[in-house]
Amino acid sequence: MLRLRDVSVSLGDFRLKEISMHVKDGEYMVLLGPTGTGKTVLLETIAGMHRIKSGSIFIHGRDATRLPPEKRNLGVVYQDYALFPHLTVRRNITFGLQLRGEPRSKISRVVEEMGDFLDIGTILDRRPGNLSGGERQRVALARALVLKPYVLLLDEPLSALDRSTRDRLRRELKRIHREIGVTILHITHDLTEAFFLADHLAVMKDGSILQQDTPENVLRRPRNRAVAELLGIENLIPGKIGENGGFATRLGLVDISVPSSVPEKRAGDCLLTIPGWCVEVFPGMAGNHYAWKDSMKVVGTHSMDGQIELDLVHSSGEHLRTFLSRREAGALPVSLEKGRDVPVAILRDGVYWVPTIDHPSSYGR
Amino acid sequence: MSGNFLTHWNRSYVDRPTAEPANWPTGKPANGDMKSFKIVMWGLGTVLVLIVVVPLLRMVLAADPTILRATVADTEVIGSILLTLRCALWATIVCGIFGIPLAYILARWQFPGRSLVQGVIDLPVMIPHTAAGIALLMIYGRRFLVGKAFASIGLSFVGTEAGISLAMAFVSLPFLVNAARDGFLSINPRLERVARTLGASPWKAFFRVSLSLSWRSILSGGIMMWARGISEFGAVIVLAYHPMTAPVLIWERFESYGLKYARPVAVVLILLCLVIFAALRGIAAKRKEA
Repeated sequence: MLRLRDVSVSLGDFRLKEISMHVKDGEYMVLLGPTGTGKTVLLETIAGMHRIKSGSIFIHGRDATRLPPEKRNLGVVYQDYALFPHLTVRRNITFGLQLRGEPRSKISRVVEEMGDFLDIGTILDRRPGNLSGGERQRVALARALVLKPYVLLLDEPLSALDRSTRDRLRRELKRIHREIGVTILHITHDLTEAFFLADHLAVMKDGSILQQDTPENVLRRPRNRAVAELLGIENLIPGKIGENGGFATRLGLVDISVPSSVPEKRAGDCLLTIPGWCVEVFPGMAGNHYAWKDSMKVVGTHSMDGQIELDLVHSSGEHLRTFLSRREAGALPVSLEKGRDVPVAILRDGVYWVPTIDHPSSYGR
Repeated sequence: MSGNFLTHWNRSYVDRPTAEPANWPTGKPANGDMKSFKIVMWGLGTVLVLIVVVPLLRMVLAADPTILRATVADTEVIGSILLTLRCALWATIVCGIFGIPLAYILARWQFPGRSLVQGVIDLPVMIPHTAAGIALLMIYGRRFLVGKAFASIGLSFVGTEAGISLAMAFVSLPFLVNAARDGFLSINPRLERVARTLGASPWKAFFRVSLSLSWRSILSGGIMMWARGISEFGAVIVLAYHPMTAPVLIWERFESYGLKYARPVAVVLILLCLVIFAALRGIAAKRKEA
């Protein structure tokens, strides 16, 4: 549905470097990256607002590289929604339909339907100035959706909202995607949002796409250190491939097998990526689920809303971070105060490894 | 800098608040300073308002009603005021046609020499208007190139209404261009971009979004420009002493007959302008309904 081939853009000091990506028909693609990494520029480039230095963009099977924004039939929802302040909600929604010269009867029917679908039927005659953030977002979505765009481009659509509205609208986006089946490219810096919504995830940094895969695969198999860090993987432990397989680290041998297909250069020094959820305090499963087991000392506990973050230190000086839900913490045989020694294990499933040093040239596909 | 922040903070030479500071407010209402601050700000601001209002008010109040009535009936006075309003209006409209696109360019697009263009637009505010009149005369005068070209199509700028409009436009265009530019600048450029993605051509995005949202700023700039045009004297007398605009007429009556005869013309002009501007300002400043 949307395909980018080696798209490079330079805009002032800013560069997008040979971006290639493919969003399939009906897919919910999330582009994840830190602030200031060029996500919005990429989105605006797809929408036709910036000139491309090289590369090409295909929309719905057609080369759209040189098409102006009005000929691309893409819907855009910005973080600040960019509703027309001088028009009522109704006129905002019908803006594109009127430009297309649709008959009045059709326009009013479409507005009616969209009003019901997005639950904005009661605010149609108000102006954007006195709508809540959530309402504005729905109006912006409606304005884009009534034109049946090939792809809906969402630029951090939830970032400006308070938490409860954000949680509600996150589900709402999922519902819209499911019920309309529209192809969506959603940009965000929020991990939770990305994993909640994405069928497919693209991780971006410094104007390049680092990895593209299903969220599950990206999380389990981060391609490099930058991706692992962007995904917020709590523990990156330096290690080497041990003599009889597994990884030698300061913790001792972490027993995960290295696939034989691994190229030699990546099998040298590396970092083990150990997400917090792989680190289990008072391990309770059968032994072969664990890649490593030992005793560690609790050096810090931090209560968060639903969970407790735990800092652990090994006798070798290596640290691990993990989380327990409040329920799990309450069920433990001892209380987790500072200085206490506890048995700890690392689940085999979920541990992966990346090269210690990222080569920027290996970014992209 | 050596050492870290925390060790510096713990050094004894860092003054840390140990006891209550000496000037800690004691019982006195904490807004005492605010009160004197407000009094001084209001006091100074009011002086300026009075400097403008008092002379005008005095002139209007001192006007003899019978002479005023005679002035209103004086066809030369009324004709000259209408001429002034008309010429200034033409100047504003023509400047709008060229100035609004320029304002948009300045607000939206980056190009080399942008600040130079901006400076050029502000220039007429700075140079003496008589000098501006002479400069115009040397281009649009009958003996000069552009003047000759226009003369061949029957348009002369010396001693004509077109000349008056030209002089007015030259000295007052910064008001319109700058106000329109600020109007465009205050619009989120994303609105135009979204309009494009919704199917609007660049033209439609400009008219339906940019212009629809900034017309109040543009109108307000136009009013300022028109007002500045009406009051123009220096550039106008150089280019076109006749037909006489109101400021020129006031000057001539003052020169030939003295203050007593110049004043009523001035009063009528002021009163008329006041009514028109109040009405236009009302339109331009009217809040968008909720």
